[in-house]
Amino acid sequence: MSVETDFLRIQGSVAPWVSGSRTAENRLDMDTSAERLVPAVTALRSLSWGYLSAITGFDSGTAAPSDGHIELLYHFCNGPAVATFRVKVPREDPSVPSIGPLVPSAVMYERELAETMGVKVAGLPKKRQFLSDDWPENVYPLRKDFTMESAAATREVGPAVGSEEAPGTFIIPIGPQHPALKEPGHFELAVDGEIVTHADIRLGYVHRGIEKGAEDRSWVHNIYLMERICGICSHIHATAYVLGVESLSGVAVPPRAQTVRTIFCEMERIHSHLLWLGVAAHQAGFDTLFMYSWRDRETIMDLLEELSGNRVNYSVNLLGGVKYDIDGKAADSVRRGLDFLERRTTHYLKIVTTDESFLRRTRGVGAITFDQANLLGTIGPTARASGVSRDLRVEAPYMAYRDFPVRPVLDSRCDLEARFVVRINELFESYRLIREMLDHMPAGELAVPAPRKVPEGEVISRVEAPRGELFYYIRSTGGVKPDRVKVRTPSLCNWAAVLSVAVGHKLADIPMIMVGIDPCFSCNDRSITLRRRGSAESWSWEDLRAYGISYYAGGGA
Amino acid sequence: MAQSTLKGIPRALRGALDKVALWSRINSPWLVHFNSGSCNGCDIEILATLAPRYDLERFGVKLQGSPRHADVLICTGPVTRLARERLLRTYEQMPVPKFVVAVGSCSITGGAFHGCYNIVGDIGDVIPVDVYVPGCPPRPEAIIDGVVQLLTKLKGGAPAKAPEADARLGGGS
Ligand code: SF4
Repeated sequence: MSVETDFLRIQGSVAPWVSGSRTAENRLDMDTSAERLVPAVTALRSLSWGYLSAITGFDSGTAAPSDGHIELLYHFCNGPAVATFRVKVPREDPSVPSIGPLVPSAVMYERELAETMGVKVAGLPKKRQFLSDDWPENVYPLRKDFTMESAAATREVGPAVGSEEAPGTFIIPIGPQHPALKEPGHFELAVDGEIVTHADIRLGYVHRGIEKGAEDRSWVHNIYLMERICGICSHIHATAYVLGVESLSGVAVPPRAQTVRTIFCEMERIHSHLLWLGVAAHQAGFDTLFMYSWRDRETIMDLLEELSGNRVNYSVNLLGGVKYDIDGKAADSVRRGLDFLERRTTHYLKIVTTDESFLRRTRGVGAITFDQANLLGTIGPTARASGVSRDLRVEAPYMAYRDFPVRPVLDSRCDLEARFVVRINELFESYRLIREMLDHMPAGELAVPAPRKVPEGEVISRVEAPRGELFYYIRSTGGVKPDRVKVRTPSLCNWAAVLSVAVGHKLADIPMIMVGIDPCFSCNDRSITLRRRGSAESWSWEDLRAYGISYYAGGGA
Repeated sequence: MAQSTLKGIPRALRGALDKVALWSRINSPWLVHFNSGSCNGCDIEILATLAPRYDLERFGVKLQGSPRHADVLICTGPVTRLARERLLRTYEQMPVPKFVVAVGSCSITGGAFHGCYNIVGDIGDVIPVDVYVPGCPPRPEAIIDGVVQLLTKLKGGAPAKAPEADARLGGGS
């Protein structure tokens, strides 16, 4: 079904709760109000169309001519199409109902709105999720009138309150962890004997305030900042950002530049997947595989360095094009590197699908069923390993993916093994794509000039990062700096799914389940506290990992 | 000379035992890694440093899970509001003598994140740092060099006393 007919269908069914709607290419915007939001979302859900991709909030500020409101955008996505409910609430009393009961994954985004924008979301758990506990009350960093001075205050922090624990259960807090925008998490697992009965997460350990920081930096300076949201997927962040800004300013990027960008995207996917393979193997106690995959990963790091001069933040993008070309000689060394990696990857695929002891840790473990993956808004390889075909490179091709189509990699087995197989097969697909792009590299310019000021408007930019859909919302008021940049990173979407599948599993399986969604897990050595009604004992993630390994080494009794 | 941890042992023996302790510390320093708000770029380079190509372990270095077993704290990132207390706690849990290596520009000055609302400072503002490794991120060779410099310092020098006492490599914040 085409996007247009989909949009007509949606407009038809939500009509009673929507006061106006507009369509543009792949975009449908519907105005509604706080009171009518829940029925409107219910109507959309009843069509089983799409998933909630992000909730953006922005403050129009108090300066004239704005009428001093906060606008909330609920973005639902399905393939290339984005349907957005727009709700305006007054700045003095911004309240909306929670849509959590309809869309479980919304709670994380609503929590973020409450803390950073000061939106009162009725029926949301009180616990802070992103900002620190001593962050002052009634100070909201993403409001336009926020000043650094107001954040200097602190609020009184009460004694740490545990979750509502039933007597006799252990609560195991793990973390804080994970780099990237808001991904570092502190988990609390409640266990009954061996079995996890409840899982919860606290984010915000590396919450740095990048979205606000972006509002103080120029359009060009922000490329530098966006690359540093995550060092593992730096290029894709910068790419999502420049694609958005270029479409706002109407700059047509030359095809050669788009192809170079795409090649870097795929090389980044290769380095990221190999990195993950090693880290995941390490969690299972399979350090030989860890060392081998990291040794081989150096091949791609060398190539990245050869092409761009940098190993990690390659800084390829400009507004309007790229900085580096890939000439014939460089292309040849990339081809040689890929040949080597392809041989190694074949070997890895054999190992993860045949090694008995490894399969005991992955086969049938941590299953996320198709329906769960679909409902909880899972994305990226995690979704694809549950048979949910969500890949923006396939569904909404951008850049050079238009000319070099991607074959989706799917697996319907839903378990951890499937997540390994999907990622490894994606490596083969990336090798093929890069070779094809190198063989048919369009000739021409590398960059065109882009204006320093970006015309007024808003844009949604979605790209497929190694971990899944990356969502950018960029808004300009015509100046030299953005008015709002909203970033929703892929791992945030997958937490809901992983927390719900953790329940019912053995504690020993948790490290593998967590790492299965690839939550930027490269540095897992943090203290955890094992709490039993008042008394505390310290565990580290390392202890938990060792526990998992020895549990299985001892026959899993 | 690093501070002696041998209370209650006859004075005559102490000097000799201290030498043995220092010798083993230099030949096999154990590392614990802490990310207090980095972008992960430096963290993956630290891990790459430990992987076969660069193999930091040939210096006897071992990455350790618990701060209680570690001699060296290897830090990345600026310090966020929420991570500050954790960083302090990790540092305090380490046995003396302890040493700190701060990796990456943002651990030196805040780097790319300078001025963001949730950043309370750089590593040196929170705990004393012995060696700074600049770069965004530094190459694995630079990280190795940082660790080797620390080991050299251990042979002859004392750990850093206070953040102000340090010569900042990447400029002040
Ligand atoms: S120094 Fe650069 S690469 Fe390293 S953590 Fe900071 S921003 Fe990331």
